[in-house]
Amino acid sequence: MEAIERKLREEAKKLLEEKKVDVIIGYEAGTLPLTMTPTFITDPSEVEKLVWNSLCIHNLAKYVHDVISQHRVAQKRLKPENRTKKIVGVIGRGCTTRSIVLHLQERQYTREEVVIVGVPCQGYVDKKKLAELVGGQEITAGTISEGHILAVTAKGERKIPILDVLADNCLTCRFNNPVLSDITIGEPAPPMKAEEEYKEVNAFEQLSSDERWAYFEREMAKCIRCYACRQACPSCYCPECFVEQSRPQWVGIGGEASDTQVFQIMRIFHMAGRCVDCGSCVAVCPMGVDLRKFLKKLDKDAFELFGSRVGASMDDPPILSTFKEHECEDFIYNP
Amino acid sequence: MSEKQEKAGWDPKIVAIVCNWCTYAGADLAGISRIQYPPNVRIVRVPCTGRINPFYIVRALQEGADGVLVSGCHPGECHYLTGNLCARRKFAMLKRFLDYLGVEADRTTFTWCSASEGERFAKVVRGVTEKVRSVGPAKKLVKSL
Repeated sequence: MEAIERKLREEAKKLLEEKKVDVIIGYEAGTLPLTMTPTFITDPSEVEKLVWNSLCIHNLAKYVHDVISQHRVAQKRLKPENRTKKIVGVIGRGCTTRSIVLHLQERQYTREEVVIVGVPCQGYVDKKKLAELVGGQEITAGTISEGHILAVTAKGERKIPILDVLADNCLTCRFNNPVLSDITIGEPAPPMKAEEEYKEVNAFEQLSSDERWAYFEREMAKCIRCYACRQACPSCYCPECFVEQSRPQWVGIGGEASDTQVFQIMRIFHMAGRCVDCGSCVAVCPMGVDLRKFLKKLDKDAFELFGSRVGASMDDPPILSTFKEHECEDFIYNP
Repeated sequence: MSEKQEKAGWDPKIVAIVCNWCTYAGADLAGISRIQYPPNVRIVRVPCTGRINPFYIVRALQEGADGVLVSGCHPGECHYLTGNLCARRKFAMLKRFLDYLGVEADRTTFTWCSASEGERFAKVVRGVTEKVRSVGPAKKLVKSL
């Protein structure tokens, strides 16, 4: 891991010095122990801040989109001949690069505007699992090393194997190596248990319709509509989200339970053929809503019906942006 | 819906979202031909099934519709050439997703019906009304206020 980090800093420094990129988006140590936070580096002397470990949770594709689209808005004030492009360098693990592929397919920016420094990924730590293992105690200090996390709480130290606290989506990750990159660092990471990726969905499908609804209702009752899932999601980049539109108002904003359910259904359904299962929405959810169970279903259907995996390659377009003449005719009602 | 209303005789309310060029004309033909079909459908006319935001369907269910019927031109006969083919993928995903959440599968129906198929339209409406009647009044996802 240290070797990758060192190489990462070298490459980042080179890219900035050679002016191949205007900004590097990566991770730096956060203000709280055992947290990493996204960082934006423009000065080559600052590359020492960059880190890479299993605490890097965020999907940086979100920030690539933000930086480029904000730059474009700012450029509108200039005369067309004075406008410049902003080249963004990004540290990309598997899911980040898949999101970038999706952005490119959806024509959000061009391939020239983004330089991907690909890194192999062995999964990230689920903060909720970690909190549970330390008994809900506040972590006052901590270090991360190869394979282990050392968490210090008021009740003492605890050494936790990273494998025990990996996020669910990482445990069954199919794309833990970048699918698209300009520079690749390190050796490809060993595969995760991808064959078990739909285990949870399959089990849920076996329940009765009423049991499934009861579970959905219970999960959505937790939601406080903070929209953190939307803010963290790299595929959620609509300039104006449907929940904020008021003419017509698509979904109510009061305490009505069905409004929350409808909001979640529509946000999740908007991810059909667009969710890369990076787990950002689950990681940021303050209420611990089980969003993945529903998102993964769309992923499964997309693969079953259309044989497509989101962002797996540039030649594989998002499922809802294309069609074939003869397909999925079995659900059509014929009296 | 309260118990009392249920006993007093509940009749399903079905929102039919149909395309202007085929099914709407088909429904018209059913009308001119005096073909009888249940009066439970409320028809909403849209330019093309490709224009239907999946939200329309979810919203109809939230607002208390007992069933939703979506119907457009047969594949290959779309007035806009490919609108219904785009829609087909969307609806295939939506139908499976709503079923997965626990909303009864019989509440959402997708079909094709051309302008010359007045008889088929009547048959579809009869079938859908029967299906919805057998699952009963909508309780899931419905606004309580």
